Amino acid sequence: MEIIKSEDLSFTYPGQEKRAVDSVSFKILPGEFVVICGESGCGKTTLLKLLKRELSPNGTLEGEIYYMGTRLGELDDRTAACEIGYVMQNPENQVVTDKVWHELAFGLENMGVPTPEIRRRVGEMASFFGIHEWFQKETSQLSGGQKQLLNLASIMVMQPRILILDEPTSQLDPIAAADFINTLHKLNRELGLTILLVEHRLEEVFPIADKVAVMDRGRLLLYDTPRIIGSELKEKYQNHPMLLGLPSPMRIYQQLDARDDCPLTIREGRDFLTRNYQKEGRIQSPEREKPVRHREKEEELAVHLKNIWFRYERALPDILAGVDLRVRKGEIFSILGGNGSGKTTLLSVISGQNKAYRGGIKIFGKKIKEYKSGELYRHNLALLPQNPQTVFLKTSVAEDYKEIGKVMGYGKEELEEDIARIAGQLNIQELLPKHPYDLSGGEQQKAALGKMLLLKPRCLLLDEPTKGIDAYSKAVLRGILDNLRKEGITILLVTHDVEFAAQISDRCSLFFDREVISEDTPVSFFSNNNFYTTAANRMARHMYPYAITCEDVVALCRKYGRKSI
Amino acid sequence: MNWKKIGSFAIVIILIPITLAIGVVLFKGRKYNIISIAVALLACVPNLLFFEKGKADTRRMVVIAVMVAIASVGRVLFSPVPSFKPVTAIVVVTGIYLGSEAGFFTGALTAVISNMFFGQGPWTPFQMFSWGILGFIAGLPVLQKILKSSVQGKTLASRLPIVVYGAAAGVLYSMLMDVWSTLNMDGTFNLLRYLVLLGTGIPTTVIYIVSNIVFLLIAAKPIGTRIERIKIKYGI
Amino acid sequence: MDHFSSYHPSVLLVYYVIVLLLTMFTVHPVLLVCSLLGGILFFAATNPLKALGKNLIFYLFLFFLLALTNPIFNHRGETPLFFMNDNPVTLEAILYGAGVSVMLIGIMFWCKCYNQVMTSDKFVYLFGKAIPKLSLVLSMALRFIPVFKSQMKKISQVQKTMGLYTSDSLTDRVIGSIRTLSALLTWCLENSIETADSMKARGYGLKGRTNFSIFCFRMDDGILLAALGAFLCMSGVGYQQNVFEFYYYPSVSPIPTGAGAYLQYSIILVMMLFPSILEIKGRIQWKLLRAKI
Repeated sequence: MEIIKSEDLSFTYPGQEKRAVDSVSFKILPGEFVVICGESGCGKTTLLKLLKRELSPNGTLEGEIYYMGTRLGELDDRTAACEIGYVMQNPENQVVTDKVWHELAFGLENMGVPTPEIRRRVGEMASFFGIHEWFQKETSQLSGGQKQLLNLASIMVMQPRILILDEPTSQLDPIAAADFINTLHKLNRELGLTILLVEHRLEEVFPIADKVAVMDRGRLLLYDTPRIIGSELKEKYQNHPMLLGLPSPMRIYQQLDARDDCPLTIREGRDFLTRNYQKEGRIQSPEREKPVRHREKEEELAVHLKNIWFRYERALPDILAGVDLRVRKGEIFSILGGNGSGKTTLLSVISGQNKAYRGGIKIFGKKIKEYKSGELYRHNLALLPQNPQTVFLKTSVAEDYKEIGKVMGYGKEELEEDIARIAGQLNIQELLPKHPYDLSGGEQQKAALGKMLLLKPRCLLLDEPTKGIDAYSKAVLRGILDNLRKEGITILLVTHDVEFAAQISDRCSLFFDREVISEDTPVSFFSNNNFYTTAANRMARHMYPYAITCEDVVALCRKYGRKSI
Repeated sequence: MNWKKIGSFAIVIILIPITLAIGVVLFKGRKYNIISIAVALLACVPNLLFFEKGKADTRRMVVIAVMVAIASVGRVLFSPVPSFKPVTAIVVVTGIYLGSEAGFFTGALTAVISNMFFGQGPWTPFQMFSWGILGFIAGLPVLQKILKSSVQGKTLASRLPIVVYGAAAGVLYSMLMDVWSTLNMDGTFNLLRYLVLLGTGIPTTVIYIVSNIVFLLIAAKPIGTRIERIKIKYGI
Repeated sequence: MDHFSSYHPSVLLVYYVIVLLLTMFTVHPVLLVCSLLGGILFFAATNPLKALGKNLIFYLFLFFLLALTNPIFNHRGETPLFFMNDNPVTLEAILYGAGVSVMLIGIMFWCKCYNQVMTSDKFVYLFGKAIPKLSLVLSMALRFIPVFKSQMKKISQVQKTMGLYTSDSLTDRVIGSIRTLSALLTWCLENSIETADSMKARGYGLKGRTNFSIFCFRMDDGILLAALGAFLCMSGVGYQQNVFEFYYYPSVSPIPTGAGAYLQYSIILVMMLFPSILEIKGRIQWKLLRAKI
């Protein structure tokens, strides 16, 4: 029997005409791993919440949902709470109690399970997830990845039969995200747990999914195995923005004309290219551009760090040790690096939030110390933090913008003009009257960026700008940054996102072992790396070693044509 | 007020005199410090009990936990400035916007939680009761209405009620806590000692009053609008 | 058990309640000195010497202050030493002040130790037994506090880099911190709704909720609890025999003596010193054990 069956399910939020979920029918069989994808606002989250009775939003519901053959509304409370597990996006907000052990026991306490039984089940789960090492810790001391694992474990102790997850990895760094997905895979494979997952990061989940559902504007477009989905999308939806979010092998496949099975993994993608596009002889192109290696003059530099050392407290170890960094005016410079390596700290030192104990920082040729109270932040430097929610203070975006005007001393007309211009540039006019917390993640990011742009900075620092936003919003952000570069604004960004850095940067570098190393153009940077490089490059490097983005690979394949058989 | 609530109040109204009587008989009327702690704890019981037995609105509970945490963080944050604390103001605002019970609960729990950082002791029940009752009074329907419109008021005159309440809260807090100090130092209630303590405590009381007024004037409105928004958006 | 703090929270609570009640209950000098000694020794056993010294100096000062000011408020007693504003300053009043301040200082030391032994999780556990919902709110608030602190720091740094209120004047700083607090509040309130959802998703609000804890009630806990019960009974007997009878006014009464009284005193002393004895024993044992490694 199917574990979940939805029949012609529709849902409308109160006061809205458009259906958030529109006549959706599907079945999920026990033990299946199902992935739902689609753009932000396509109704994925609403659909998931409808499947979890305790969370189902207020509004008009039509159609039926069955759990194990019973109507969801007729399930008894215990079964509904216990057997349908739900993990949300933000790792922080789901934690209820202050101790890890208490968090694990929380669900079982609610079910009224006696103490010895709780002890056994909690112990079992903690060992399965490798939590036993931090079992006694306070929940606030955990990292984001650990918190999300704890959230998963504290659902799993309730022994659910189906696990529903709403973008569980969007706030995690790539390594923690991959770990999390692996854990899900393990649960599915070893315990036969049914999993329904909404994800943006499809590279990891497509290969392990049994079924993929594609949603668009509340409707279920496609529901099939990943490989068939790949081919169907190619046939039916050539230029759909959703395609941007697909894994690189699938995207390259989409844009090429070879009739073949859709590749899902890097290895399959590599085989696909070899089978269809590798010709006799090795093609060496595009020729590796020889970077012009000249030592920039001081006046060409926007940000100049010389031998910077920093630690948070005297007794703690160095976070930055002899960092040298030269960012030229008007370029987009990316710093890549692992989690917790000190990238954010580097930005905080550059932006003057923290002070280096040794070394010199010059911003536009002037020492950072010589910028008097707040002058640095007036038309010089602006920092967009990782979490855009820290930026807003007021009850609407427009009010937040106006306050900046007040602080910066803009005239009324000048301010209105600026707001209109920036809102146009970022395409956020309709967000202005809204409360910042009513916006989606990508919208919050744009609104926060708008606030920074109102400061009219010459140099913009971005901390993980692609965290938690979907592929489409990423593409939009790329467009925005490109425009800013054209206006002559220098952009320095730190990120985990290899693909994004490859597409946008003029120069890239790696933050490793407390230093910034190997600055280079994206092409030579990524083609020289074997591991720390883009999926497209890993897929095509045996043919086109200098192709680093999907677009590069597609262009080259088209240029040199298919293998003649 | 339903019968449950009346019942829990009745229990207390009976229990407090009984405690007093037992104390007087058993300790021959000399152990007022112990009796007073018992009375202070008992006085907290009806509200806490009512919250405990009331319907579990999870969202409301979390919001109250947030207010408790904010008030405690505020107390820790301002610990370098003696007696200048935002706790009373935050508790009062909670009372105004979430009702008497939530106000009492927030006040009492803030005492418990923040004393985990500042040190628990026999004074904890008194602080629980004092902050609790200030939140409770602010949330009484009649006062709630006046204070709410005063918080949102634009003119100085319309904000008068909130200023008066802040000042009164400062005085009341001092008076309640000095009862404890007197009992603690004397074992019995020595009126002269109490008056002297109140007198020497005037500067502290003034700081209480000033801090209450300052925090209420500046913070009550933003906190209030935020709570209202949450109430509307999520139907609490 | 090597540490007093490893006893079950409920036993710890009973112990503390008995100690505090006994200390507050009496003005009997022997009992008060026992309590003070127990408190100070326990504090010394669990804290660095420097902290002990600092506290001792402060409380010595308090001792003299209370002992000497008591005659101002109390004029009872038979032995006037001299007259001040036509009011007698009596020996009894001074002695009473001294007695009460010993009590006060004893309580302070016990409370300091209490805060170290009764960590927040034990506290939440005890509350949870009696009033579950309240204890859950406590636990949530305890989780929020560190989260809020770190978020607050983030917000204020970000606001600083936007050039808001960076000038060093006091009013700007106060306004700045209040703005940060209110931004923090928005953040907490908006995000707290998700916490509530996560609770509901895990079945919070169903009937018959249990309370889980990692604290086990062991044999040793039972023994200590029984000992405390026996102690209470003994004290009751002592109370009946007027061993604890002591008064300062109108004249200081003699301290009760005799075999029964001495037995009571020694039992009380042992009970007051119990935590420090355990602590010291534990430390010696650990040294011996470590020598074997």
